[in-house]
Amino acid sequence: MNSLFWARLHGGTTHFPIALIFGAALFDTLSFLCPRSRRGRDFRIIGFWLVTLGALGSFGAVFSGLALSKWQIGGTGQLFRHHLFVWPAFALIVGLATWRVLVGYNPSRRAFQFYIGTILISCVVIGAAGCFGGELLLGQ
Amino acid sequence: MKRWGEGKAAVAAIVVSASTLLGTYGITRIMRSASFSMRMPDLLSSAHAEKVPPVTAADSDLGRHLFLLNCAHCHGDDAHGGERPDLHDLHKSNARIHQAITTGIKGEMPSFGKKFNELDVQALTAYLRTLRH
Repeated sequence: MNSLFWARLHGGTTHFPIALIFGAALFDTLSFLCPRSRRGRDFRIIGFWLVTLGALGSFGAVFSGLALSKWQIGGTGQLFRHHLFVWPAFALIVGLATWRVLVGYNPSRRAFQFYIGTILISCVVIGAAGCFGGELLLGQ
Repeated sequence: MKRWGEGKAAVAAIVVSASTLLGTYGITRIMRSASFSMRMPDLLSSAHAEKVPPVTAADSDLGRHLFLLNCAHCHGDDAHGGERPDLHDLHKSNARIHQAITTGIKGEMPSFGKKFNELDVQALTAYLRTLRH
């Protein structure tokens, strides 16, 4: 298995968790905006499963990326910049999903507010990691 | 689904998150040392010797090691170019190779000037000079 194999696998496995986490942020924000409606509860359930699946998928993305970079935690140049955002993003995704699974579908409004703030920050960090990752593979 | 208290769940989430990062770090350390020890005998194996000319200089060995750790994820394990140019039969001067490694190529290759010292760059250049089609 050469670098090209891992590059393709990493490209394939990375975009699913990114989309799932961004989707979770969207649906959770929508559910926060309409808390008492039935639709709000549906959005919350969707957000719950999206963040859970996104966190599970992130393991595949992270480990294929590590294999691609020859198991470097840091690296240099663009790879370093990519990793600078990947590790906080990975920690945030796993932490958020763990909290969500433990708390269930209906957290308190105050806690949910904090959760949404954190998942939106995670989206920014994931976006930065993805941006530098794309630069690393594709150049400018 | 049984609900946890939100504070307790937050503590558990932080613990799981930190454990995941630590576990990943541990696995990375193991895989790095395993892949390095697997690759070193490659330098002497006959199968590998067919692809790469015999490596005689010590700095070329170091160059190959540095290449595998830092360059192979873009240029390919065998330097035939994974996502980046094939490095066999380079028609560049040593000075140009030195410059590309230390200052990078805008939009194409990161700079390794802060990571590699002069000897490292010389070792990498020596290794690149051994690469022939």
